[in-house]
Amino acid sequence: MTTRVHAVEGLMTETADGPRLLGSKCGGCSATYFPRDSVCHNPDCDAPAMVDMNFGPTGKIWSCAIQNYQPPAPVITEEPYQPYAMGMVDLDDGLRVLGRIDVDDPMSAQVGGDVELVVGRLGGDADGNDVVTWMFRPI
Amino acid sequence: MREVAVLGLGMHPWGKFPEKSVTKMCREAVEVALADAGVGWREIDAVAAASSRFSGGKGWGLNGNDVVEEMGSSGIPVYNLSAGCAAGGNAFNIGHTLVASGLHDTVLVVGGEKMPKGFIQTSGVEDVHDPEFLRQRCVGMPGPAFWAMLARRRMAEYGTTPEHFAQIAVKAHKNSVHNVNARFRKEFTIEEVLNSPLVSYPLHLLEICPVSDGAAAVVICSAEAARKRTTNPITVAASTVATARFDDGITRGLGGIVPSGPTHHSEAKQAVLKAFEVAGIGPQDLDLVELQDNTVYYELAFPEEWGLCEPGEAERLVEKGETTPTGKLPINPSGGFQSFGEATTAQGLFQICELGWQLRGEAGERQVPNAKVGLAQTLGLGGNATAAVLKR
Repeated sequence: MTTRVHAVEGLMTETADGPRLLGSKCGGCSATYFPRDSVCHNPDCDAPAMVDMNFGPTGKIWSCAIQNYQPPAPVITEEPYQPYAMGMVDLDDGLRVLGRIDVDDPMSAQVGGDVELVVGRLGGDADGNDVVTWMFRPI
Repeated sequence: MREVAVLGLGMHPWGKFPEKSVTKMCREAVEVALADAGVGWREIDAVAAASSRFSGGKGWGLNGNDVVEEMGSSGIPVYNLSAGCAAGGNAFNIGHTLVASGLHDTVLVVGGEKMPKGFIQTSGVEDVHDPEFLRQRCVGMPGPAFWAMLARRRMAEYGTTPEHFAQIAVKAHKNSVHNVNARFRKEFTIEEVLNSPLVSYPLHLLEICPVSDGAAAVVICSAEAARKRTTNPITVAASTVATARFDDGITRGLGGIVPSGPTHHSEAKQAVLKAFEVAGIGPQDLDLVELQDNTVYYELAFPEEWGLCEPGEAERLVEKGETTPTGKLPINPSGGFQSFGEATTAQGLFQICELGWQLRGEAGERQVPNAKVGLAQTLGLGGNATAAVLKR
């Protein structure tokens, strides 16, 4: 039976409303972190107070690009290879984060487009599992 | 601090040299630089070398030690500098500091590299604490895709067209035809650039630098000593190093802050602006720039980030040919990384050599007329950047 495994454990949690990214925020300077961190790295923060925060689900595409050639490991891709879109998204709750953009036609991803977090498949692993990660789907 | 001069310039051509070791390539560059300076190996008081991740250096980035053993172990101090693609610039900065401080009189600065095939990969270690591994495993965004994302943003902000990007590649290759050290010395048309394979939309193969093998070396000494050997030496008006700021908008791992304004490439901007301050010059005083054009996008972004032109004006400069050797703001008359390919840690010294030849008026068909002040800039992994202003 096929099992779903996260590309890297500990980066997202799956809820009934879609995934949330496991990060942190500093109460002192509002700096956001992903993955989770226990200390604030802002050199101008004089009152660090780190709290866990689950980021998502909505944001805007700051910019995006297409991976036209098949990249080597450690990138996970489907076989046969299909170019995919990826980009940098500014989430409404203050995190700037990279991710794949979940669209059939990679040219349809647009700068400034509204997106929400979803879980999507990157490809399969050697044991036949579905390797999944967070992705952004236009809304 | 005393004034420093660049006395000797030496380069091994860029290309692919499977039969030659990186140390032998460095030797050739060093021999040319020593002969150009009129200095013997035994007169070199210290070596500042760029540390390579890919070749030589005994696996520890000890590339300066390799060079000293190759040239003859004279017991001199060696400084191996690691700063990713900025390492050559970093080595130049340390060499400059050693001479400026009076600690050493004559210093060799060298960088050489033999690159593995294909685009530069991650370290190969699957470590979940390595941000680069996380970026590749969870997103799948190699370097060219990251550049493409920046280029696409610019298209949305300023209306940059595919032709603008292509025009920069056309200019780079046109310059390279006149550079015997360039790996690619062939002209391309805009159509040929746009018809080359898409690497990462919107960037094509001819708009991204490949990897190359190469080596470059410079001999530096006090300006006072240089004036005893030559009437009009090239002097170092500034050499600076900077790292990225916390509020930089380009996230280095998977995620971070949303910046309050345009704060990209803060390491490069800080290094260049500091260099202007130290040299006591402004952007208007520059006769030419050798900047790190891993992709043509940087020739649009960097000039405005450093105040060489207004935001969004770079495309107009390209359209009017102002970045060609005879334009108002000549950029990369050498042919740049686009025509040389990137021998990562040698690039910072390749730039110093080109500035030196231009300022001496020895650049032949690619000469910037009457060049008196030049800027060189590198940008490396880890948020490293360097800048240097050379003067005649």
